[in-house]
Amino acid sequence: MNMLDDLLRTLDQMVNDQFESVEFKTFLGVALTLERGRFYVIQNALYTSNRRDCWGYVQGGAPLEVKKVIWEHESDELVNDPRAGMDHYALTVKQGEVIGLKPEDFEKAEVPSMVRACFYAWHHVALRSHWLAAYAASHMLERRNNGKIVKGGGMSYRVGKKFENELGINLKRMISLDVHVVADTDHSENISEMFERYVKTSHDCELVLQGARDSMAIDRAYRGALGYYMEQIK
Amino acid sequence: MSNAANGLESMWEELVGLCNAQFESAPFRRLLGVKFSQARAQHYSIQMAYYVQNRRDCWGYVQGSAPLDIKKIIWEHEEDELVGRKSEGKQDHITLAVKEGEVFGLTAEAFERTAHLEGGEVCFSAWIRLAQQPWLEAIAASAILEMRNSAELIRGGSLSARIGGLFERDLGIPMKKQINNAEHVVMDVEHAHLLMRVARQYATTESAREAILRGARASLLIDRVYRGHLADLVEALP
Repeated sequence: MNMLDDLLRTLDQMVNDQFESVEFKTFLGVALTLERGRFYVIQNALYTSNRRDCWGYVQGGAPLEVKKVIWEHESDELVNDPRAGMDHYALTVKQGEVIGLKPEDFEKAEVPSMVRACFYAWHHVALRSHWLAAYAASHMLERRNNGKIVKGGGMSYRVGKKFENELGINLKRMISLDVHVVADTDHSENISEMFERYVKTSHDCELVLQGARDSMAIDRAYRGALGYYMEQIK
Repeated sequence: MSNAANGLESMWEELVGLCNAQFESAPFRRLLGVKFSQARAQHYSIQMAYYVQNRRDCWGYVQGSAPLDIKKIIWEHEEDELVGRKSEGKQDHITLAVKEGEVFGLTAEAFERTAHLEGGEVCFSAWIRLAQQPWLEAIAASAILEMRNSAELIRGGSLSARIGGLFERDLGIPMKKQINNAEHVVMDVEHAHLLMRVARQYATTESAREAILRGARASLLIDRVYRGHLADLVEALP
């Protein structure tokens, strides 16, 4: 097995392991009510904004060829995803209508303290790490959403299914979650190709793994925090 | 006119004044006083490609910290710079810089193997540090360099236009063959307005306008140091 295959296999194992963590199990185990669903959708919009921050920082630190790949990636996210006919933030806001949210609900939303700490932690990794680590850190969140890699479905798929099973809202109507089921599969594959170009040594591997580990740890803390706040909504 | 509108106008005037003053500084005078040989033009051209790469670093960081609506404006800006307007058949600016090198007798490999100017590297690090400051300061630091290159704002011509004029005078290379310089002469007029678009929406307080001026001043200071290093480089060549 060559070094790159071994690395990619490890990354696949890491994203699968996320769903076995106590934080993910707690989050995915919280029964959805309409209010909890609203909280989640608003928080997801804030998470999307944080992703845009981090990918910008990663673009800043990456080599030119990688910058171009990230720029293309941000086209779907920031400007217009042809799958949806709008950018991903607008998509999340639009999705909110299904559960009675208005654009103002997103504008006035506050970032809860534990979530804020996670957002700052992701900023820190994106800004202060070697570019390969920073790139891997952002990539892993899309890999963790890739249903081709994660057995039982990625995060968007599982959350979408909760809305369907617990609130009776068909996944197709949860347009942001539905688009991300496909978009993050494409994104994680396109972004992953860059590892083939730039991971040449065991040191490069270690940088990727460090970024991946850091990001997955923050992701667990983030999901744990969401689960905690959702449980407070009675 | 409201206080905020007055403040915005006077900030804009100050920014334009600062950009024009660059051309009166000793480093700019030295650089623009150089008589270009082919070797000097070659090395200048290569170092400017590295400068363009540093701009891409900085704009990425600024995009990261800016609000969502401003991220979109920066993303569009980076289309011209990083990938080119494909719908108009335009190439990205790094490719343009390398292609322009051909008229000075440069190959693509020359851009890969030529060492970065040491003083330039220090300036690039300083610009990156500015790009990681709070976003209004950071965006001003990057946008001011395009204002300084706007023919509309700079009396006597932008930096790209003036350098292009020197290449034409000293080497007989017409501006239209300097495809990178020619592109920037046009493009930076458009890009120069980015900062005002941002300021109209976000520079609504005195402290916000001060942040913009602080970022712009710091960047222009680095710009003067950088141009001084470029002048050292080309003056040392035959």
